[in-house]
Amino acid sequence: MSARRARPLIVTPVAATSWRTACVAARGNGERFEGLFATAGDAETVELRALFSSPAETRLIVCEDRDRSVETLVDAIPAAAWDEREAHDLHGVRFVGHEPMRPLLDHNTPLAAWTVPTVGHDTHEVAVGPVHAGVIESGHFRFHVVGERVLHLDVRLFYKRRGLEAAAAGHPLETSVAYAQRSCAACAVTNSVAYAQACEQALGLAPDRELSRSRTLLLELERVYNHLHDISAICAGVGFAAGTMAYATMKERAQRLNERVAGHRFLFHTVRVAASDQTLDAEAVARARGELRELRAEHARAWRQLQFTASLQARLDGVGILTRDDASRLGAVGPVARAAGILRDLRSESPHLWYPLFEPVTAPGAAGDVASRTVQRALELDQSFMVLDQLLAAPLAPGRTQATFGEAEFGVGRVESPRGATVCVIERNGSRLRAMHLRTGSYANWPALAHATAGNLLPEFPLINKSFELCYACADR
Amino acid sequence: MFVLLNQLRRVRRDIAASPPVTRSSLALRHVDAGSCNGCEHELTAAANPFYDLSQYGLSLVASPRHADVLLVTGAITTRMHPALLAAHGAMPEPRLVAALGNCALGRNLLGQPDQLAGVLEQILPVDLRIPGCPPTPAAIAAALIGVLEQRSRGG
Repeated sequence: MSARRARPLIVTPVAATSWRTACVAARGNGERFEGLFATAGDAETVELRALFSSPAETRLIVCEDRDRSVETLVDAIPAAAWDEREAHDLHGVRFVGHEPMRPLLDHNTPLAAWTVPTVGHDTHEVAVGPVHAGVIESGHFRFHVVGERVLHLDVRLFYKRRGLEAAAAGHPLETSVAYAQRSCAACAVTNSVAYAQACEQALGLAPDRELSRSRTLLLELERVYNHLHDISAICAGVGFAAGTMAYATMKERAQRLNERVAGHRFLFHTVRVAASDQTLDAEAVARARGELRELRAEHARAWRQLQFTASLQARLDGVGILTRDDASRLGAVGPVARAAGILRDLRSESPHLWYPLFEPVTAPGAAGDVASRTVQRALELDQSFMVLDQLLAAPLAPGRTQATFGEAEFGVGRVESPRGATVCVIERNGSRLRAMHLRTGSYANWPALAHATAGNLLPEFPLINKSFELCYACADR
Repeated sequence: MFVLLNQLRRVRRDIAASPPVTRSSLALRHVDAGSCNGCEHELTAAANPFYDLSQYGLSLVASPRHADVLLVTGAITTRMHPALLAAHGAMPEPRLVAALGNCALGRNLLGQPDQLAGVLEQILPVDLRIPGCPPTPAAIAAALIGVLEQRSRGG
């Protein structure tokens, strides 16, 4: 249970020349890489941060880099590839040894600069987006294809970049939660709670029981409507309309419940720093509990039908495989990583949320294919329904915080979103935000999606994509 | 499969959405010009059995070349600005532009000014405004059905 005790944040300052040694050593100690980013320092300097975690503690390695140049981590920590490319494009940081440094956010570069060259008989490229055929977020995919088979996929996101993190800087800590929320509707609660936790850690505060319960309730309501949506989308990916509409109906019910319980279909404006005003009396929790039980039963009936639908099942097995090794190497998180056999879920190491008996689950076989990712969603729906049932056994009172470790310049929040581990790092300047960085489960998983697509047929991509169901908005920010 | 279909039939019977009043139709194309994905979720939800846009002759089409209405969501980012203009330019005339959601209407925008291209009204002629953060599927359906009804009255 040590993982559930409050985790101190260890801030380790290093010189630019020791950056790589310190980060690789943290990784060597079994600490998990959870993100790397740069923020503008004063005048000429850039400040680098890398986040690592172990079950006992969170470590932020910080570095003031006057030369804007450090050794790369990508050979030792491949999961840092997008992070380094982002820091390069935004702040001009050179990562020596990261070759070629392909642009990620910078769209003003020739095609050859950001795509992987492919040569050979009959190789060709298929360009898709940023505007897609369906109602989908904007992003560009460049498939390198032979016949119908995908050799390689280059993903170009950040079309939706609004500059939310930079725009949030300078505002009071309490009001900047709006920027975390706006980064993504489908992960609004996760991102807001991660931000609020980060602020509270920097302010030396820990939530009381009611605040923990309130946030856990919101997080699980968010997961339920997202997972229902994802199963609906997977059915749509194979053109199975009855399944698509059955799960779309359940998602609609879940969102109507959100509105009744918390006042908004996407649970907007429900998360505050250091407090919660949400209350639910005995009648309200009983009604919500009853509706969730009905929803759970409806899902169980529909899920059983999906098992007996050959035209659906025949399309899921062995498609879009992400092996356990690749998932681990690329830093995949959430249902995608668990469906590949990585038994890790931040809910089992969340001392500031209410998950007393939570244990992660993985889909039987954990083959890392579309089938496993579909089953994983169903297993996690059951878990969420159980957590919600326990949470709603008692009324909910307003929540507050109490003093804990003491104040600090930095704070880190870590929350399991419907798409996986999301971290938020904040730096404060008194009561104002100096900088924030949000690294969501989607951001972590995009490279894994591209990797899992290679080797499959091009027409399978919509299905593989939907089995990952990553957000563009909270990657682009 | 039959259980699912029966379940859906029950939903349809329980909801009893109001029947279409016109025989016309509109083909809709969506462009996400920098949203938080909330408007996309709700636009998709407007096609679920509770709202069932298609029974009113409202369908989402894959190409702007087939569309009567361009539904634009999000703060218009500088990076989506060219794609938005290209999609609008590809539509046959007459064409309508709908600002879907508060961001597209320029309300309570968040972001760095240098990342945003400006309010939709300054970029394209806006014919239909659907406020909300995000607008509910009911509001989206009502606004689009309103266009059909206006047209059937010759408006």
